[in-house]
Amino acid sequence: MNDAQTPDVPARFLRLPSVAERKLGADFTAPVRLDPRVLDQMQDTIRELTVKYSENLKVQVGSLFSFIEPTAAGEAEARNQLYSTAHEIRGLAGTFGYPTVGRFAHSLCAYLENYKSIVSTVMRFHVEAMYDALQGRGTDDILASDTLASLDRLIALSHDGERSAG
Amino acid sequence: MTDRELFARLKILIVDDSAEMRNVLAALLESMGVGAILSAASGEKGLELFCAEAPDLIITDGSMRPMDGYELTRRVRNGECPEGNGDCHDRDVPVLMISGHVGAEMVRLARDNGVTDYIGKPITAATLYERVLAAVSKPIHIVETKAYRGPSPRRRLVPHMSIDPLSE
Repeated sequence: MNDAQTPDVPARFLRLPSVAERKLGADFTAPVRLDPRVLDQMQDTIRELTVKYSENLKVQVGSLFSFIEPTAAGEAEARNQLYSTAHEIRGLAGTFGYPTVGRFAHSLCAYLENYKSIVSTVMRFHVEAMYDALQGRGTDDILASDTLASLDRLIALSHDGERSAG
Repeated sequence: MTDRELFARLKILIVDDSAEMRNVLAALLESMGVGAILSAASGEKGLELFCAEAPDLIITDGSMRPMDGYELTRRVRNGECPEGNGDCHDRDVPVLMISGHVGAEMVRLARDNGVTDYIGKPITAATLYERVLAAVSKPIHIVETKAYRGPSPRRRLVPHMSIDPLSE
């Protein structure tokens, strides 16, 4: 039967066994709560990785400063490096106990995603906010939220009338 | 049956272009007791490994270049294995997407491409554990039409946030 002869096929709804049922049998029942021993083990792993991550984060934040001016001058490679570094920080800083640094990195990533032409002052303020948070300054939630609001206002002022790229 | 006994039987594929993120995810999965962990640095490599190794679960980043996590998921659902690179053993494999983009548009894109569950960055141990457990222990509900096969594209997909970077 070709397509022209095929009547409209309605959607089929299938219920397939879970991965666990396939591996362990149909009588598998999902656990009702997380096993605290597994969670503890995972937290231990995060603690072990945190020392190394903290050192790496300092290097990453430091490196961001060097990409600001070339990025503002329109160098695509510098912009890529700036974005990918900020993207990595956004992804992991919160996991390792630096949620404020991650929030500023998130704001910087959003800025780079949404605007084609970017302003060095906006980038510098973001990176300085990350640097300060990393040094333990400005990690208070209210202060961090105020700083983020200020960064938003700075972006709005710097791009007054400009349409975002995103 | 404990979680650990279940995890020991799992083969999980991590796809992320950040080496640091891959390492952290692998270390966390290892500490959960996951039996086999595979990792790929790009969507292309991820698709190759999926076809060759038939993992029980894929954990993928959203934004990667050139093939991102959305396209990877769509290709898995469509059974598009690269030629001579094994077979798409299980097009219905659960796919967890971990992404920094938690806006409605990107979450919709993930849902429409067949992503099973969406986790916002940054992740915590508890969120990863909980979502992996849910992905492998819940029955898989699939909608099949002429043009689509995967989790219902009409369902409400809400990102799981460990720490909300935009809140407060």
